[in-house]
Amino acid sequence: MSEKPKKELTKSQILSKKITDEYLDEAFRAKEEGRIVCYTTAISPVEILVAHDIIPIYPENHSVANLAAKKGAQMCSYVEGMGYSSHLCAYARCDLAYRATGFTVTRGIPEPDMFLACNAQCFTLTKWFQVLSRRGGGLPLFVFDTPQYIRDGKAREEIIKYCVLQLKELIALIETVTKRKFDYDRLREVIKYSREASLLYRKFLDMAAHIPSPISIFDALIGMAITVYRRGTPQCVEYYRTLCEETQEKVDKGIGVLPKEKEKFRLYWENLPIWFKFSDHAKLLGSYGGVILTSLYVHAWSFEFDLDKDPLYTLSENYVSRFSNVTLEDRVDMALDLFKRYSLNGMLMFMNRSCKAVSFAVPTLKEILTKKTGIPALVFESDMGDQRFYSEAQIRTRIEAYFETLERLGLARKAA
Amino acid sequence: MWEKMSYEEILECAVDPYPSIREWKKRTGKRVLGTTFADVPEEVIWAFDILPTTIMGTTKPLKKAQALLPDNACSLARSNLELVLSYETDLFDGFVLPQVCDTTQHLSDIWRLNVKGKYFESYLAPRQTDRESAKYWVRKEIERLIDSLSAFTGKRIDESDLKRSVDLHNENKRLLKEIYDFKRNNPSSLSNRVFFSLVKLSQQVAKDELNETIRRVKESLKDGTKDGYIDVILAGITCEPMEIYDLFDEIKLNVVADNLLIGSRYLAGEVDPGEDLLDRLAARHFKRGFFSPIHGNVFGEFEELRRLYRENGAKAIIYIHIEFCESQEYDLPDLKKMMKREGIPMHVVETEYQTTSLSHLRTRLQAFFESIKGT
Repeated sequence: MSEKPKKELTKSQILSKKITDEYLDEAFRAKEEGRIVCYTTAISPVEILVAHDIIPIYPENHSVANLAAKKGAQMCSYVEGMGYSSHLCAYARCDLAYRATGFTVTRGIPEPDMFLACNAQCFTLTKWFQVLSRRGGGLPLFVFDTPQYIRDGKAREEIIKYCVLQLKELIALIETVTKRKFDYDRLREVIKYSREASLLYRKFLDMAAHIPSPISIFDALIGMAITVYRRGTPQCVEYYRTLCEETQEKVDKGIGVLPKEKEKFRLYWENLPIWFKFSDHAKLLGSYGGVILTSLYVHAWSFEFDLDKDPLYTLSENYVSRFSNVTLEDRVDMALDLFKRYSLNGMLMFMNRSCKAVSFAVPTLKEILTKKTGIPALVFESDMGDQRFYSEAQIRTRIEAYFETLERLGLARKAA
Repeated sequence: MWEKMSYEEILECAVDPYPSIREWKKRTGKRVLGTTFADVPEEVIWAFDILPTTIMGTTKPLKKAQALLPDNACSLARSNLELVLSYETDLFDGFVLPQVCDTTQHLSDIWRLNVKGKYFESYLAPRQTDRESAKYWVRKEIERLIDSLSAFTGKRIDESDLKRSVDLHNENKRLLKEIYDFKRNNPSSLSNRVFFSLVKLSQQVAKDELNETIRRVKESLKDGTKDGYIDVILAGITCEPMEIYDLFDEIKLNVVADNLLIGSRYLAGEVDPGEDLLDRLAARHFKRGFFSPIHGNVFGEFEELRRLYRENGAKAIIYIHIEFCESQEYDLPDLKKMMKREGIPMHVVETEYQTTSLSHLRTRLQAFFESIKGT
């Protein structure tokens, strides 16, 4: 029997691997080089850490690797035996299992010296980091508290002032921990890289507006990794420049995830992905002419740093206004903007048991989006990482029925 | 109405205070604003001549909330939303909803979008409390709340309005603390249920009237006995349904200290005397101990509970875990371990607001305390 030929890696894939390997090598060397390792949330003003030569590590990303490798149920069950509830975030459960057993499908992540939790993402991370901080005997945990970015101009100004004050406190803390003075010029340089990479990342995501779309959300989720853990570096900029060039080439040649004539359903996805069903979902949807193009989640790293503003101000303004920290009305507006720009004609709304921060809004969001777009939604409940809460047959049947509904309502794209 | 309540009326009102609040509203022509746990400065709302009522769930069936919230949403959140959507929709003139965790933050949006035509304000409590910026932020939020209520009522308040309100609320807390001190040593004279009903009602009804009842309760107390009672510490956020206290009374558990929001964490909220009331209200935010499990830490909670346990010579700690309260669920495994290491018996009671049968709980509590007595 002949072996399946290996698909040749693209330039961006090679670059992604190189950047990731170098990043982890550096992280594992940190202790011997006397550098600080700070665990942080995927959404956090990491530019401050990067500017101060502190290695940021994202336990969430590490959990994703294990969950995508279908180890969620096994690892989560273990943690439940330690007394943790099955209702907690699968990232946290998976990470706590890794701490207790050392099991991982990757090379693991280095132990932390401190923590930075930004609650614009969720409070769960704060609680999870509190557990890890205790485990480390009371390691420093800095909570960057970002009050909800409510729709009130005056309140927003005050919120930003409060955030700026806290970033100054964070800087004071890392100066104490490292016994080094913080360099604001270096911070400006790091933010410049972050800005450049973010704009390119957004350009890459927005290529999904083309018909046929050269990328699906699955490409976006893979492409997202580098900006999550390497923003603020020139390597990150280089990666997104390469990714944009490759994707533009597909656009120029009219290459889509699905051929133009088969791309019937251009879909919006609400929530984080179901990591262990990543490629299965792409295939399943593709077989019906469906392709998920975007979500607010992948756009969470589309920052717009303003280099003319005070660096702490522009960091605060950007981090406090992520989709997970704005009002539901703002979240609706953000989603509607994607519906319009990407010519979406369907929506899959995932109630993620693991992520209450994002899932709480789903029923109300679904009502409003359906009303405003006239497009029905498919709502289903599962878990982003714990397979025990996933029902294959049920979800398959519901997806099938959903596409039939869209067809019946005349919402499917007509073949060109 | 609330100034001359019998024990029976106190218990009844604490379970369902809303008919009486409706009556009060009709009688006084004043407004009622609903809040949820835990940090909204009630003194500020009262200073505007508005009754602040902390909404603490309902034991009535869930009808609408289930369609709006995930199944694994905190039991209190579901119950509060249901109460407002299905049972007391017309009672409230508006809401001041504090955001202390993921649930409360997102719940406030859902609440606002599903309850139309009412005044809404978010109270953005700091979710860190150990830095200077938190102090700055609490003051700013109190100022914003005052501006918002001014716009709502068309009225400005001055220092004397606020002082009158603070004095009234302080008096309420002082009276309750005096009764708690008495109850601690005379459990046969005052049941857990009556005492904690008074604390609960204090967060829901008009204190100028309720203080009269509390004063009368205090004056009527006669020395009792501790014989046959087991002193316990109660921990958690709330303890619902209220019938749980009946179980405690039935098996002669005497709650001698607690760290509940409808307990000592509320009582610790007396505003200190001095200049600049807003500063003192802000300072109060930081002196109430572990007011929200979000910014609390388990070491701190453990130390506080251990101190209460030892100082009061208690026999055990009863920890009330609200179903699906994520913050508690992250803390509990470590807290249990610390208690075990210290040799402090701790019994965790899982509650749900829609609980109707407590028979399983009675059996478990009895078994736990039989084992305590046996040691």
